Amino acid sequence: MPREIEPSLNEKQFVLQALQEKFRLDGRQFDQYRPLELTFGDQYGVADVAFGKTKILAKASAEVTVPYADRPLDGVFAIATELSPMASPAFEVNRPTETEVLLSRLLEKTVRRSGALDTESLCLVAGQKCWSIRVDVHVLSHDGNLIDTACFAVVAALRHFRKPDTSVEGGILTVYTPAEREPVPLSWLHSPFCVTWSFYGDRGEIAVLDATWTEEQIRVASCTISLNRHGEICQISKLGGTPVEAVALLQCTSIALTKAKDFSVFLDKKLAEDTKKRNIGGFMAELRSENDR
Amino acid sequence: MASTQHALLSPAELAYLHAALSLTPPIRPDGRSPAQFRPLVAETGILPGTNGSARICFADGTEAIVGVKAEVERTRGGYEGEIVEGGGAEEVVTDVNDEEKKGESDWVEMTVEIPGLRDDDATTAFLGAMISEALLADGGFSRRLWINRRFHWKLYLDILLISPPLSYPLPLLSLTTHLALLATRLPRLKSEGDEDPFFDDDWAAARYLYPRNKKDGKTTARPPVTLLVMAVGNNIIFDPAKEELAVADVALAVSIGEDATTAATATGDDASLMMDVDSTTAAAAITSARNLRLLSIRTIDPPSRLTPSGVPNATNTAYGAATTQKQPEARTAEAEAVEGVWRAPRGGAKPLVMAALVHKVLEKGGIADEVLDALHAVDLG
Amino acid sequence: MPLDTSAYSLALLRVDGRRWNELRRMHAQIRTQAAADGSSYLEMGHTKVMCVVTGPSEPGPRRSAVGASGGTGVGGGSGEAAQAEVAVSIVIAGFSSVDRKRTARGDKRILEMQSTISNALAGSLHTHLYPHSAINISLHVLSQDGSLLAALINAATLACVDAGIPMTDYVAACTAGSTSTYAAGDEAADPLLDLNQQEEQELPGLTVATLGESDRVAVLVCESRVQVSRLEGMLAVAVDGCKQVREILDRVVRDKGRRMVQEGTIEKGVGVNDMEID
Repeated sequence: MPREIEPSLNEKQFVLQALQEKFRLDGRQFDQYRPLELTFGDQYGVADVAFGKTKILAKASAEVTVPYADRPLDGVFAIATELSPMASPAFEVNRPTETEVLLSRLLEKTVRRSGALDTESLCLVAGQKCWSIRVDVHVLSHDGNLIDTACFAVVAALRHFRKPDTSVEGGILTVYTPAEREPVPLSWLHSPFCVTWSFYGDRGEIAVLDATWTEEQIRVASCTISLNRHGEICQISKLGGTPVEAVALLQCTSIALTKAKDFSVFLDKKLAEDTKKRNIGGFMAELRSENDR
Repeated sequence: MASTQHALLSPAELAYLHAALSLTPPIRPDGRSPAQFRPLVAETGILPGTNGSARICFADGTEAIVGVKAEVERTRGGYEGEIVEGGGAEEVVTDVNDEEKKGESDWVEMTVEIPGLRDDDATTAFLGAMISEALLADGGFSRRLWINRRFHWKLYLDILLISPPLSYPLPLLSLTTHLALLATRLPRLKSEGDEDPFFDDDWAAARYLYPRNKKDGKTTARPPVTLLVMAVGNNIIFDPAKEELAVADVALAVSIGEDATTAATATGDDASLMMDVDSTTAAAAITSARNLRLLSIRTIDPPSRLTPSGVPNATNTAYGAATTQKQPEARTAEAEAVEGVWRAPRGGAKPLVMAALVHKVLEKGGIADEVLDALHAVDLG
Repeated sequence: MPLDTSAYSLALLRVDGRRWNELRRMHAQIRTQAAADGSSYLEMGHTKVMCVVTGPSEPGPRRSAVGASGGTGVGGGSGEAAQAEVAVSIVIAGFSSVDRKRTARGDKRILEMQSTISNALAGSLHTHLYPHSAINISLHVLSQDGSLLAALINAATLACVDAGIPMTDYVAACTAGSTSTYAAGDEAADPLLDLNQQEEQELPGLTVATLGESDRVAVLVCESRVQVSRLEGMLAVAVDGCKQVREILDRVVRDKGRRMVQEGTIEKGVGVNDMEID
């Protein structure tokens, strides 16, 4: 298995020394994210998110399946993460690394278990037919902070996604094509965002947001906090590493909340822009009988 | 089927061990007599959340825990229609005789967990198969799980080896399973006949899977135990440790059952069915006063076959053997066994040795008796 | 089955009769197994776990991927690492829960716990003293009744102490929860210490592990939705609980040490009585 090249001792020393003197290599503040870019695809449910050089594409799709026998009233919702060798030579296909397992667990806890998507709304015919929503996460470029980027991409893709409209009449299920009926958005309850802190120093006293890959490799601990704009924690995971003062963690949480609110505002704005772009001229344009010629 | 990880022993050590174990009487590395078991600590009923549980610690530090869980399951096929018809079903039910209580082997599910090994590892699968095979060999066990014609108990046996596998864990796992089954209790059935079963909530009223004698609290029938026996030269050695197994000429896992009620005459067929070795040994299914029954025999491939051979001084260049000798075939052939030089055992075991091994296990006052007596003494709380 | 939390406000007693800041009965033993380098047995209420530590020893054949042999390790490749690799494997016995359920080893929840325990202990163990070696921690869950991760961390800590691996301090863990669900928006919600299975399913909670007597948090895992404002109270209670747990663990280790000196198993070291570990 190819292994990731670790930064050299000099490099580690340099970055650490700089952090101790309150500098980051790319000149950011400790609690500053890299520039966030979000583009939606032509299709519904495709979101391309970039934090600096980290780039993740998430694609949501829907199909009609049979619900699980033990949950006849719930739809199926799955998030698939596969880190391909495209992102880093250390990732191999069909061989989940620890990073991948933790990433998928985090997305699962943040988005799925927190009930962001109302899975009951995916039910079509109880016990027989339901929507299966699937989000595929593709890491296109890996420069640290996969978790926050992936979570943002998943949420953006799902918020942007439209599933075909359906109707049930007399036990017959009809799925309409986009031409027949405008596709409908998912029943979305709240938008959680992950904010990951990286800690440095012997006692984990330096806390940094949105670490780059180099910074990530030399951190002594990390803590991912998932929040929504209502101030609800969906999940916290600090899985070991150097112990950090409890008070510092509380401060991290409150900063994370402001970041999550920023993300929420940004996403709402982007979604509104996208809707406007898709809907040039509004309802009137659709009603016009004349064409471009 | 390689039995366990290899003991890392040099050819010289192997030769020494082999020589010591071939003496009469054999000298074992830990000073035990050939038929002596390792001392063990056993307790039962350690997990209140299970129907039955047991833990055994061998003196060498290996430890196992077995938990038994039972669930009510609907029996496949059969009597659904009869019940719907109503009325008549009742009387049919009341005189269900013992013959009708038939069990299926898939009513018992067994899993073995060995730390450091995958669940689909061959060793794990083999160990599980050997223990369940002995348990189900006579068909009498699954009959105990019969509730009525529509329902039965499904028994889940989870066997956990807690310690790293220092010696071949089969005897340990088998003994622990034995105790756990003895301690297993099932809630008392309150419903009658073929109706949907419901049970007495009072755990104190629960029945033992292996019913006990009211007077002395001892069980009448007992689950089987599987013992490991090996032969080195003319000696038969019980409960071999890892190092001893590394020089075994032949190793056998022998499962024996004890049946106090039924005569042991009918067992010959069962036993020979289970044999995957020379059927000549089936004759050895002799019974003692204890009604010991031979349930199954399996040969264990001793790791000794995979050990490297020693080099006699005569051909060892370090000791002045001619270096110019260009006869590689002569060296590999190793026609003669040289005293004190280790040679991995080749070929199978002689039928006579096999017969002697089995005979030794079953003989009256022999090791099987001893082990069962010892297990008898365990307080089944 | 829904937990009736309304009763709590009346008598301030929880379903099992505890007050908000009470731990369940905690019982632990170390050196339970002769063959292992380190071993322990721990009960937190009805959650029962066993731990066996092997090592530090020469690392075995390289595990190909996470979960292949049930081990998750930190510390880089086993061969060339400057620090010992801490590999943890968790086996959840089929009979451990009320309904028998078989957990596959590749289960992501288990892999996550393995990785958490491995990372948490690696932060306290002096792994740099054992380059090119592996510390194998094998955990067995015999019975589950909430606070599983906390119990596993405590058992692993005890077993590492028994194995004699130098460490900064105990990594002690426990859980905390909050009396009402996130939806209630109840500001007066009380924090609760040491959740059992029923409370864990119904109420928001978190698992915290701290290093020794300090307030420094090694592990903080929260898997349920909860208001940010509740976090502080829950964290404070949990950190306080960790200190209590540390006392219990410390007592277990010291009692065992004293007994071993009395039995003559080990020689009494110089100044054992006035030695302070912190």
